[in-house]
Amino acid sequence: MRLSGRVVAALATLALLMAGCSVNVYEAGSGTGGGGGGEGAAAQEENTGQVDIAGAASGEEGVAIQAVIDQGVNDAQDEFVATYTGSDSFEQNVVIQIEGGTPPDIGFYPQPGAVVEQAQQGNLVSLEDLGFDIAALEEQFGSYLLSLGEVDGQHYGFPDTINNKSAIWYNPKAFDAAGYEIPETWDELIALSDQIVADGKNPWCIGTGSEAATGWPATDWMEDIVLRTGGTEVYDGWVDHSVPFASPEITTAAETFGQIIFTPDYVFGGPENISGTDFRDAPDPMFQDDPPCYMHRQATFIVAFFPEGLTPVEDYNFFPFPPIDGQDGVLMAGGLAAVFKNRPEIKDFLELYSQEETQCLYGSVGATTTISANRNVGPDCYDDPLIASAVEPLVEALQNDVARFDASDLMPPAVGSGEFWNGMNNYTNNGPDNLENVLTSIDAAWPASSSDGASE
Amino acid sequence: MADVEVQKPEAGPTGGAAYPKERRGFGSSVLVVVLSLVAALAVPVLTYVLLNGTFNAMSGRVSAVLVGVVAIIIGVVGVFAMYTLVDLGIKRLPDNIGRTVQPYAWAGPAVVVLGIYLVYPAINTVQLSFADATGEGFVGWDNYRYVFSDPAMLRSLRNTLFWIFVVPAAAVSIGLGFAVLADKLRRTESIAKSMIFLPMAISFVGAGIVWRFVYSFRVEGSGEQIGILNAIKVGLGGAPVDWLAVVPWNNLLLMVIMIWLQTGFAMVILSGAIKGVPEDMLEAARLDGATEIQIFWRIIVPTIMSSIVVVFTTMIIGVLKVFDIVWVMTGGQDGTEVIAERMIRNMFTFRNFGRGAAVAVFMFLAVIPVMYINVRRFREEEATR
Repeated sequence: MRLSGRVVAALATLALLMAGCSVNVYEAGSGTGGGGGGEGAAAQEENTGQVDIAGAASGEEGVAIQAVIDQGVNDAQDEFVATYTGSDSFEQNVVIQIEGGTPPDIGFYPQPGAVVEQAQQGNLVSLEDLGFDIAALEEQFGSYLLSLGEVDGQHYGFPDTINNKSAIWYNPKAFDAAGYEIPETWDELIALSDQIVADGKNPWCIGTGSEAATGWPATDWMEDIVLRTGGTEVYDGWVDHSVPFASPEITTAAETFGQIIFTPDYVFGGPENISGTDFRDAPDPMFQDDPPCYMHRQATFIVAFFPEGLTPVEDYNFFPFPPIDGQDGVLMAGGLAAVFKNRPEIKDFLELYSQEETQCLYGSVGATTTISANRNVGPDCYDDPLIASAVEPLVEALQNDVARFDASDLMPPAVGSGEFWNGMNNYTNNGPDNLENVLTSIDAAWPASSSDGASE
Repeated sequence: MADVEVQKPEAGPTGGAAYPKERRGFGSSVLVVVLSLVAALAVPVLTYVLLNGTFNAMSGRVSAVLVGVVAIIIGVVGVFAMYTLVDLGIKRLPDNIGRTVQPYAWAGPAVVVLGIYLVYPAINTVQLSFADATGEGFVGWDNYRYVFSDPAMLRSLRNTLFWIFVVPAAAVSIGLGFAVLADKLRRTESIAKSMIFLPMAISFVGAGIVWRFVYSFRVEGSGEQIGILNAIKVGLGGAPVDWLAVVPWNNLLLMVIMIWLQTGFAMVILSGAIKGVPEDMLEAARLDGATEIQIFWRIIVPTIMSSIVVVFTTMIIGVLKVFDIVWVMTGGQDGTEVIAERMIRNMFTFRNFGRGAAVAVFMFLAVIPVMYINVRRFREEEATR
């Protein structure tokens, strides 16, 4: 009787304590975790013989990254072994690990924003402290990519793989059958669109539906257009809000986008159904026997959502988003590698990993559509003809400094993952007369204090 | 009563309730308070120190799995041992003091741990609601001003209010109607009730995915309509409709999902209550010539009123927290925001901790009166049993 009473009481508390202890472990380390980054920056530690890398790419893509690391880094020396661990919830996990004082050695972040955030909190080791020559890195990656991870004059983001977002997909067989030519300028694109309308079809398949993120594909459209109507200076100003949404430059870009979505018969299903069409389903009609629409603008990942049984190049292909008034550029997305610990082998790893021979392997290990951020890695490296043709304009744009990062990912989340999406939905749903209203309401959502923080 | 206590001095917390009647001196009262505090804190503090020490000693030296195994052993064996130890200590105390301290030693650790993981975060959230986006600077009432002025927030408040009126009312009336009708069935009652109850087993996210297929929409001409509503509409010669974008009816379409999920819950509870209505009361009414409808409104409903209120209030609390359905179906687009969705959006998408916390505090305050009614009614019901 007495014993059983105690057993019950013990067991009842046990569950709570069990839940407690796992969290206690984090909290115990958090005191040292905050300062750990700062100390690491100052004092270099000993070589431990291993480099732990965590990242968001998992599954087949994670295997591909490990394959590149094995062939390019681990087989090339015997000082250390680098291991990549991918997880879908990397971005949440790594925050917990940092708080707990046990971060990985290197994090492959899928977006630059979080790297800047961690750098501001003093949890990262800058590339300068690791002993990198920034000028030499700029030689490899161009100054723009390095500037994405810049905080207070120090560089915290080591450019990782990227991908090309400025692609307009089409069905080559349907184009041939109708006798359409690939447009090379914006005017030719509009002329082609008009011709398709004259032939009784709709030129564009557009869908921006994406549940809680509905509207983002329209922001990509805007970004591609701003980059071409405004140029890189306006684009960078737009990202840090020195060029507001309601400015004449961005208004012009929105009106140019409006030319695509609001010209009668341009969009299959009409503009009012753009946000109701799932972005994954949007390209499907292009592949019907008698396609009702012919072109679809989306990043290279979209091929994963194309109907099954299609052959690349033969059944689908893309052409680069054309220049507007002679001004060209390439929109890209991708990640940055952030370093949490200062050890000699971490620098060695990054050097080996980023060199051309290693990066070239990304084209042959398969299962990934990412492109090396090293601009000396040419299209020849890539086995997949589609990726190879996406590399060419991207590398060229990187070399000419007209490649730009997805702006909505760089803006404060209240805008870039909030009002910018809503505004685009409002625009496509409610028509061109609404534009001024849309743009001022996006500006209003810009957080007052972070307008200079976002500009790095 | 006192006799019983003497016979079973260590029968658990009830034993401690028999407070010694004689007055103790001030010194010994302080002693009892101190001892009770120590007893309550002993196990959590010891466990924390032990686990923390183990983690520091082992982490990084041995594999993480081993650290986990050791932690579990400490959690299971260690906690039990510590309880036994504390209990043995209490046995050594003078009988009357030991009896007062014992309940604290047993229930205390649970209260302390709950305090750390429930009360402390709640207080911290209130604090955070007066802070800026990063949770550091103080901004006064700005976040609450945002809650009551931002257009999307106002839409979410309006929508949540509609959810509160529509969902519980619909689920309770359908559930009640079905419970009454099923009660009249002879053999098939349990099958019929199982069918209604089945959706209860589906998670909100799962239900959202199921209903996405119901409302799914494709532009006319882009292939077959896979959404059942649109398939029917097109089959009858109509044009497909993007249901989830039809303002303001899309809100109602989302509520339908919650009603579908919750009707079973209302039905089961109310069916139980109906079976508890005394048969002689119904017979007396029938003898007096009451119709079945009169019996329903004048006898059954008043008799089971407290159950109805409990179901109703439980459902209101559920509706106030509804998030998954909206997030999966529309993400709050097209004017379908609800407050829980706004909270997650501010906290995690916009990373504005202050605003997220302010919405959370508002939700918390909104739930309190409903909780109060719920608990009070529940007690009344328990008392009548």
